[in-house]
Amino acid sequence: MLQQDSNDDTEDVSLFDAEEETTNRPKKSKIRPCACCIRIDRADFRIGSFVDNTNTSSQTDFDSKFRHPVASFFHLFFRVSAIVVYLLCELFSSSFIACMVTIILLLSCDFWAVKNVTGRLMVGLRWWNHIDEDGKSHWVFESRKDSAQESKTVSEAESRIFWLGLIACPVLWVIFAFSALFSFRVKWLAVVIMGVVLQGANLYGYIRCKVGSRKNLTNMATSYLGKQLLRQNTGDDQTS
Amino acid sequence: MAKAAESSGEPGTTSPRPLMRDLKAVGKKFMHVLYPRKSNTLLRDWDLWGPLILCVTLALMLQRSSVDSEKDGGPQFAEVFVIVWFGAVTITLNSKLLGGNISFFQSLCVLGYCILPLTVAMLVCRLVLLAEQGPINFMVRLFVVIVMFTWSIVASTAFLADSQPPNRKALAIYPVFLFYFVISWMILTFTPQ
Repeated sequence: MLQQDSNDDTEDVSLFDAEEETTNRPKKSKIRPCACCIRIDRADFRIGSFVDNTNTSSQTDFDSKFRHPVASFFHLFFRVSAIVVYLLCELFSSSFIACMVTIILLLSCDFWAVKNVTGRLMVGLRWWNHIDEDGKSHWVFESRKDSAQESKTVSEAESRIFWLGLIACPVLWVIFAFSALFSFRVKWLAVVIMGVVLQGANLYGYIRCKVGSRKNLTNMATSYLGKQLLRQNTGDDQTS
Repeated sequence: MAKAAESSGEPGTTSPRPLMRDLKAVGKKFMHVLYPRKSNTLLRDWDLWGPLILCVTLALMLQRSSVDSEKDGGPQFAEVFVIVWFGAVTITLNSKLLGGNISFFQSLCVLGYCILPLTVAMLVCRLVLLAEQGPINFMVRLFVVIVMFTWSIVASTAFLADSQPPNRKALAIYPVFLFYFVISWMILTFTPQ
């Protein structure tokens, strides 16, 4: 019996006008009749939206700096303390086990918090895995659409904090992985690889949410590289 | 990750208490392992928190209390981690290559959760080892480990065997057998000094 085993599981992406950074672009708020159901399109994209019930009441000052200070704090707290414990463990305690368990605990809490809470609250993105009745697994990436009440659902400061924390820490863990490998401190490798995997997974998930489908991602990457090359070439032409 | 997505949410709704939801899901899966029935719950809403907790607990209990603070059990801790996760990944790859229609994370989820009986065996063994050593001690531990090993195999087979084509079931189950056998061996041969 031939099984159609698709290694790359079907990926569904939902994409909205998630223009939150630039202020010059005119705001196009899509008003949809049904805001809380997922409709499956026959095309490549699966359009979904979600209504977040945990939003606070609409703020008069919608560009307020910190809507969710607790979430912002915890977003950074777990990641940074995991890194700090890793770097300072030799000084704090002589027990390797205690350090390792602490780092594992912090990494797990950080993964859970970023995936389930802070991403949703701070930047309005979420991603998960859904297995339907046939046993096929779908990865769903969603971004919150701007509802009619508040024209801006994401504050700039929180968004900056979110992406900064999300991008900087996995990079640091990768650096730690190489340093552990090359300095032969192999006993730390298990923890470091766990850090890379967990934080890298969140990074990948949220970038997919933000950017859209994989095609979009490769298009973006190639166009960015193309622009860089062009800039370099024109720069060379100007200087020569 | 992960482990990639470890916590599956219900599509279309945002639960206001995600922590409680996830804890309940983990608890429910533990119950399913203890009373294995052919149900889809372990497979459908997979998560890897249970395996992580079990792995850390097992690794902590398998520590030798050494006098020398230099080698304070570090390598053994990492060893258990590597054996469990690398073994589970290998079994999953094997079952996928044999044509099984189970996804990567579902298989990891089942294998990880079915370590629960062996963790209980480890707990019991540690308690039994507080008594005096001797052949009776060893027989008790051997009996407990064998029972729990069989329980793990039965539980994981109940969930995994359906996903394989019928003529490949034995080939897919054999690595699971080896995996739990290695863990049982580590538990049985553990002495605290």
